[in-house]
Amino acid sequence: MDDTRSLLDDLPGDLMIWVLIVSEVLVFGAGLWAFLAVRITDPSGFADSAALLHPVRAGLGTMVLVTSGALAALAALRNPAWLWGAAALGGVFLWLKWAEWGGLVAHGISTETHPFFTFYYLLTGFHAAHVAAAIPLLAIVALRRRAAEIEVTVAFWHMVDLVWVLLYPAIYLIGASA
Amino acid sequence: MTGGRILRAWAWLAVASAVTTSLAFAGSHGRIVAAALLLLALIKSRVILSDYLGLRAVPPIRRGFMVALVIWAGVALALVLAAGQP
Repeated sequence: MDDTRSLLDDLPGDLMIWVLIVSEVLVFGAGLWAFLAVRITDPSGFADSAALLHPVRAGLGTMVLVTSGALAALAALRNPAWLWGAAALGGVFLWLKWAEWGGLVAHGISTETHPFFTFYYLLTGFHAAHVAAAIPLLAIVALRRRAAEIEVTVAFWHMVDLVWVLLYPAIYLIGASA
Repeated sequence: MTGGRILRAWAWLAVASAVTTSLAFAGSHGRIVAAALLLLALIKSRVILSDYLGLRAVPPIRRGFMVALVIWAGVALALVLAAGQP
């Protein structure tokens, strides 16, 4: 009997991906705390800034991302071909973000317009960078079809989902409250 | 994990996300809505942890994640309340 077995041995997938997941959630969590803390200094300014966003379109992005997550989970469970669908929806999410940023930039709104937008661009941009990095990884593991690689990449993709369900309400909805 | 469980998880996430987004239309703001939004975020997080990331099979670790997320949400709510209302 192996009496050195620990709870960590029961984690699905590789331990290091969980280390990455925890660290990413901590970073984004701290970033959102900082956002909410700075909001204390100017709630009405934050609300006025958030009013320039499109929460429904961002909510649609949430639907796209969680659906993508379901396809990725199915890929890890049944058929790696679902990864192409997950990747495609990831592309849709990025397109929505690009449209959102483009609209703001066209109106001259930058990171220096207001602290709200400093956080907004930083947090949504950092999140989008993770999505953008993961899409080609999904494609690569879809082609290689190795179970361990798919499991790790899909776990990373779910982390991107997890961060977004925290980020979206904090910035788009709570940030709009005053 | 089964395909049925993944689809049920997706359905829960879709409903919770729709409710979250609908609060943007409600035109209501304030502390109760902020608390509701954070609660919905926690619900969605638990679904993702349980059924997308597979932690349903490892309840102690899922519990650890949720404790941390509840603490995160509690601090977030405290910061929202500290901003006050006009």
